[in-house]
Amino acid sequence: MSITFKNLSHIYNEKTPFPSAALKNINLEIADGSFTAIIGETGSGKSTLVQHLNALLLPTDGEVRVNDFVIKAGEKIKDLKQLRRQVGLVFQFPEYQLFEETIETDVAFGPKNFGIEEKEAKERARYVLELVGLDASYLERSPFDLSGGQKRRVAIAGILAFDPDVLVLDEPTAGLDPQGAKEMMDLFKKLNTDFGKTIIMVTHDMEHVLNYCDEVILLKKGEVELVSDVKNFFKDSTIDSLDVQPPHIVEFKRQLEARGFAFDEDAFDLPTLVQSLKGEFDHE
Amino acid sequence: MSNMVLGRYLPLDSKIHNMDPRAKIICMLCLLIAIFIPAGYVGYAVLIAIVLIVVLASKIGLPYIFKAMKPMMFMMIFLFVINMLVIKRGTMLIDLGWFSIYDEAIFQTLYIVIRLLLMISITTLLTATTKPLDLTLGIEDLLSPFQKIGLPSHIIAMMISIALRFIPTLIEETQRIMKAQASRGVDFEEGKLMEKIRSILSLIVPLFISAFQRAEDLAYAMEARGYSPENKRTRYKVLKLRGFDIFSMLFSAAVVGALIGVAILL
Repeated sequence: MSITFKNLSHIYNEKTPFPSAALKNINLEIADGSFTAIIGETGSGKSTLVQHLNALLLPTDGEVRVNDFVIKAGEKIKDLKQLRRQVGLVFQFPEYQLFEETIETDVAFGPKNFGIEEKEAKERARYVLELVGLDASYLERSPFDLSGGQKRRVAIAGILAFDPDVLVLDEPTAGLDPQGAKEMMDLFKKLNTDFGKTIIMVTHDMEHVLNYCDEVILLKKGEVELVSDVKNFFKDSTIDSLDVQPPHIVEFKRQLEARGFAFDEDAFDLPTLVQSLKGEFDHE
Repeated sequence: MSNMVLGRYLPLDSKIHNMDPRAKIICMLCLLIAIFIPAGYVGYAVLIAIVLIVVLASKIGLPYIFKAMKPMMFMMIFLFVINMLVIKRGTMLIDLGWFSIYDEAIFQTLYIVIRLLLMISITTLLTATTKPLDLTLGIEDLLSPFQKIGLPSHIIAMMISIALRFIPTLIEETQRIMKAQASRGVDFEEGKLMEKIRSILSLIVPLFISAFQRAEDLAYAMEARGYSPENKRTRYKVLKLRGFDIFSMLFSAAVVGALIGVAILL
């Protein structure tokens, strides 16, 4: 049970005068239960890559394996619905997918499509809304009366409601206020650690990568530039060679190091860094 | 949806592309009128010859024109069948007792098919060689004489250009919403009637909401930049009739005149 990409290529508008290769020969493995960040510049193929995970896009060449499902060039997928139930995909700005009259029915829409009974679907709606921080008083309200951040929560709840094993998030915190973004990220972390969900997240926010993820996949112009675990990724030797803006704490450490401090290379969180800094002063 | 031919602009460089959009619209109108003048075989031969020459001059190529006709194929076949069954005049060609085909039926169908083909070719020629924005500029100018009787030509042109501008955006939006709902288990291809209605609802509602949102945003953005339809506006692109444009218009008008003459003589 894991996700593998094998020699995956995707070309948009293949049989037209204007083809464009979005992904070139991707080989990747994403372990079960991991929290993986996919990063890269705009147009590097991140969104294209994740849309292969539930077969919204099919490979032009190569294949993707998700659990027992094989998504292959020119082959029909057996039990597509089951695949989409196991891999929940939250698009960028998912607010626009809301359409029902009440929040409850909108969240229950996904489960019902996947054949879950009305009553249970509503129970699930109640449960996941609680999970994303909206209490029962929201159930009967219209999703269109909510603020942007709340709409985002409802949209994400709509995916969580059918309990996918793999949760794919395309820039889930884009446009949210810092507090809202942090709450969302904490929720994803909880889903990962407490519920054992595999989480794949496309993001531009290095703070989130550092604080929440285990693995990093860096894409560049449709190719895999680097695969690394988070700690190694943010070490000077790696990150300096890449076109990535490091998180504040890494930058902070670097500035201090330039002024003669020496730190534990693995100190990436505030308490460890402070401890390490204290050690430096004690020496003197 | 991206291989839709009807109404798409082909960015090429040709004598036809460089014509004034006003002249092109006038020529198109003349030729469309000419199609409906009953001038017999001669008339259609002349029109077909003109269309062929213009297609060659525009460099868009005959295959492209044929592709534009594809969606009409079904209609033409349908027409043919109906005419075969309904029209019972002229000489009988085939007689099977219970079913017979008359030559009149074939001629009638042929006429309609040729007219349709000519109409599609001529309109495709206009849209394929003229940028949508130029087209609306042309329409605005041509409608401006009617301002005196209260026709808001600028507003009409602005509405057309905004509508044209947002067609690709809405297509993209539709695909985006379809993907998002497909991720929530919506099956747009199969399912019972009730499920189908529900799945279409899950597409239509968000599409309308975002279209209205976009319209509002656009209106505010235009107002923020001081747009008012009543203001006198100068243009970045000034249309100018050249010799070839005037010649083309006169020629098209002459074709109409000549065909009317032939029709009267017949």
